[in-house]
Amino acid sequence: MSVLSQLNVIQVSGLTQRVNTLEGSLTILSDINFSVKSGESVAIVGASGSGKSTLLSLLAGLDVASQGEVHLDGDALSTLDEEARAQLRAEKIGFVFQSFMLVQSLTALENVMLPAELAGDHDAKAQAVELLDKVGLSHRLGHYPSQLSGGEQQRVAIARAFIGSPKILFADEPSANLDSKNGHLIETLLFDLNKQNGTTLVLVTHDEQLAKKCQRIIHIEGGQLEKISEGVAANVG
Amino acid sequence: MWVKLAFKLFSREFRRGELTIIFAAIALAVLTVFSLSAITERISLNIAQKSSDFIASDRRLSSNHAFEPQLLKQASQFGLATAQMLYFDSMLFANDELVLGSVKATTAAYPLRGKITIKDNLASKAYEVDTGPKAGSVWLSEGLFYTLKVNVGDKVELGAGNFNVTKVLVKEPDAPFFSLSGNKRVLLNYADIVTTQAVQPGSRVFHRLLFAGNEQELSDYYAWLKPQLKSNQNWQGLKDRQSPLGNNLDRAERFLLLAGLFGIMLAAVAMAVSAKRYCERQYDPVAMMKTLGGSRKVIRNIFLLHLSLVTTFSIVAGLALGFVLQTIGADYLATFMGTELPQAGVRPWLLSAFIGLVCALMFSLKPLLDLFDIPPLRVLRRNLGDTLAISRIHIGLSMLTIFVLMWLFSGEIVTTLILFASTLVVIAVLFALSRLLFAAGRKLGLRPGSSWSLAIATLQKRANANAIQLISFALAIKLMLFLVVLKNDIISDWQMQVPADAPNMFIINIAKEEVTPIKKFFKDNNIAHEDFYPVFSGRVDAVNGEEFARRVSKQEGEEKDENAREGVSREPNLTWLTSLPEGNEITEGEWFTDGGTGDDIEVSVFDGWQETLGLKIGDTITLLVNEQPIDAKVTSFRKVDWGSLKPNFVMILSPNMAGKVPVTYFSAAKLHDRDTKGISQLLQRYPTISMIDIKAQIEQAQAIIAQVSLAIGFVLSIVLVSGALVLISQVQASLAERMQEVVILRTLGAKGRLIKLATLYEFMLLGGIAGLVAAIVSDVALLVIQQQLFDIAGRLHPYIWLLGPVSGALFVSSIGYLMVANTMRQNTQGLLRKLG
Repeated sequence: MSVLSQLNVIQVSGLTQRVNTLEGSLTILSDINFSVKSGESVAIVGASGSGKSTLLSLLAGLDVASQGEVHLDGDALSTLDEEARAQLRAEKIGFVFQSFMLVQSLTALENVMLPAELAGDHDAKAQAVELLDKVGLSHRLGHYPSQLSGGEQQRVAIARAFIGSPKILFADEPSANLDSKNGHLIETLLFDLNKQNGTTLVLVTHDEQLAKKCQRIIHIEGGQLEKISEGVAANVG
Repeated sequence: MWVKLAFKLFSREFRRGELTIIFAAIALAVLTVFSLSAITERISLNIAQKSSDFIASDRRLSSNHAFEPQLLKQASQFGLATAQMLYFDSMLFANDELVLGSVKATTAAYPLRGKITIKDNLASKAYEVDTGPKAGSVWLSEGLFYTLKVNVGDKVELGAGNFNVTKVLVKEPDAPFFSLSGNKRVLLNYADIVTTQAVQPGSRVFHRLLFAGNEQELSDYYAWLKPQLKSNQNWQGLKDRQSPLGNNLDRAERFLLLAGLFGIMLAAVAMAVSAKRYCERQYDPVAMMKTLGGSRKVIRNIFLLHLSLVTTFSIVAGLALGFVLQTIGADYLATFMGTELPQAGVRPWLLSAFIGLVCALMFSLKPLLDLFDIPPLRVLRRNLGDTLAISRIHIGLSMLTIFVLMWLFSGEIVTTLILFASTLVVIAVLFALSRLLFAAGRKLGLRPGSSWSLAIATLQKRANANAIQLISFALAIKLMLFLVVLKNDIISDWQMQVPADAPNMFIINIAKEEVTPIKKFFKDNNIAHEDFYPVFSGRVDAVNGEEFARRVSKQEGEEKDENAREGVSREPNLTWLTSLPEGNEITEGEWFTDGGTGDDIEVSVFDGWQETLGLKIGDTITLLVNEQPIDAKVTSFRKVDWGSLKPNFVMILSPNMAGKVPVTYFSAAKLHDRDTKGISQLLQRYPTISMIDIKAQIEQAQAIIAQVSLAIGFVLSIVLVSGALVLISQVQASLAERMQEVVILRTLGAKGRLIKLATLYEFMLLGGIAGLVAAIVSDVALLVIQQQLFDIAGRLHPYIWLLGPVSGALFVSSIGYLMVANTMRQNTQGLLRKLG
């Protein structure tokens, strides 16, 4: 592995995804190639159905590609089985989803601690409290998701994403389910925490303005990589 | 490391009510099995005890020849308690009066089971004792005191001996229910047989050995005894197949068994639905956990621990609640019966815990396996994994489990197969019917925006889910209707057997010339009575010329046959009649040709003897009446309702028998307390007649009917709870979808009243349709079950065709509406948050 590829925390080469339908095989993604450096923020943009969520699922090891390879922090995902990919996610990846995906029977604090507990770490409470404090929810530690607003739930999800100090953070339309005020708050939090923790951020969005806050923007159209452009943050960062 | 998380998740899920239905379903299955099997076992043990009382022992060996001493010696070595009895007829003499008495001589251990009821004198109160008279004394039945004109303290001559009369013999536990010896009974100490010199070689005597002990000891002894049993020796067990109580209790046991099966079936359906729902609710958390790095092993451990915990808690709760319920139920029944019910053994505990365990494992296994397979990708593609919910394997596995559970509980493969197969047919018919009904509803074209059209649209939208709901509802309603109707039919059938004006006294040994004055006495005193039947006793000597003894000896070995053998080898009471008695039904052949006035003597035989003796129409039976052979041609077989407390006969001869044999007459009357004085006068005027009081038997039958009705009511309420649980689990399973609909409808501007009414109508329609189908199916199934399992004449019940849909609509709409009422009350924002 070259020095360059070691610097690339994500290396995508010839990534193709096909699915079988009643009408035959359908190509969702075709021959995608790009890389993401450590600490970089990258937005994946595209219209609905362009394949951006599929790309995210392959990058995060949630699904297996039909063809091509994804190297994640040096590990080739195609060589890992489901358990090993889960282990990799536990150690190196954080997630934020459009629909929050909190466990309804756990409190805000317990939801944040969940990834650490699944990895067998039971000393994560202090870090979880600190993270919830950072997202402005220190007064909501014992509240259940159903007792929180949408914005608050997404803030809990962001705090959960940073527990265990992951190397890479994947965010799928993190503000799409929120009003503009809360959406803006979430976006700010995400970028601030990302910067503080030196995490690599891969953000899937259809919002051009949000994408521009990243250093680079990968444009997907019809399952193909249309272009890679620079965002506003490229000049700042 | 995962354990702490698993416990935390479990306690939260439990508090949130996510596990409540699973908990309740397993607990209910355990409770149903425990309480029913415990109560049934306790009642059965009580019946066994009572049956033992009827034969004064657990088993008895009868013969008209003396037994080898070795039999008693060996019984003691097997740990059995024993007693000896000898029956013989002998003349009694006192105050210049001579009468033939029926003597029973017993050893001190008699009775091994039950008590002897005696009185200190004719006027005093009866009480119970554990042993018979001491040597040198006799106890006489009341009739003998009048006939011999003696009192307690007087002496009577019995055979060659002189004995003190010390007590009035009221009842022995094994006194024959109906015997020509009537009330001329004498109880004598076994040691005094020699003194009487009444038993000589060639005397007509009847020997009995009584045995008592536990089942193991008894069966060990029987295993030793069986090879050396002689053809004139009969081993008799507990159950008297022709006992009215035996018949009714057998039916009650069958009902409890059936109800228990239904209860299990419903609890199982509730468990299957709720386990599937619970697992579906965990799809997102599991996908999330996998995404966050949770390994399959950790996730599997977490949910298996959940299953273990909920199973343990629910089994413990089910056992505890079942124990309380059966204790209360059994205590109540015991008080009602005026007896103590023996404690049940460990079987109900083990069986119910095992069934709970099987229930939990089998119904949650496939949903759990599906849950472990949920891909982490579901976090991005929300519907991924939903297709797993409709699984043929789950349905197949659930059905197999239900079948095994029913079989385990009942131990009866045939009953289980009938019920299971009929339920499968019902499900298939209902599924097809529900699709047709929903499709038909589409063409109704109701006004847009009305609650009804919204309700029908909702039903159509969820056609598949509704078909399953409809099947569950219909199944629950069917089983409940089924039991309600069956309960009413069984109880009314019993009440018909023992009507309020049923005769309570049998009058026997009536001489021909006494019939008219006794009839007059009844008329003058306004006493209701049955016909006067001519009665004589005779035994079967040969069939088609073949000696009877050789015929039955072919059937040695099985207890069933031995019971039958004892039946046919005794001298039954016979009669002749011009018409078929009430409650009898010809099963084969025809009633007497030309009214039985021809040259040939004809006989109508109880169908139970048809099989035992291998008889067919046209056979000739040779009866020995007073050692005089009489040939009778079998012209019909009859079904006899031994459950009725009316005079019943195993053989009825044609009226041309009149004049050929000496007879006495027999009748039955309903006597009241006010008649006591008149009856005493009647007995004094006609001292040869005997009266047998069957008030006690009638009261016992009525008490048992009442008690079993209570038990049935108790079981029915358990089944109703199971039915409600199925309904709740089904509604709960669709709650999330309903929330979503309410949100959408409200967002689109639908008024609260419209949504509420639509929901109410939807449940009413579902309940009404389910109820109608359930009523039709129940009624058809009842026709079969009543005849096949309960021996009751099958009939249709038009009222349930109305009761089914109405109660179904009310039951389903009230429970369903209550379940979703909370959803209706919440504002849109609250519902959205709950939906996550």
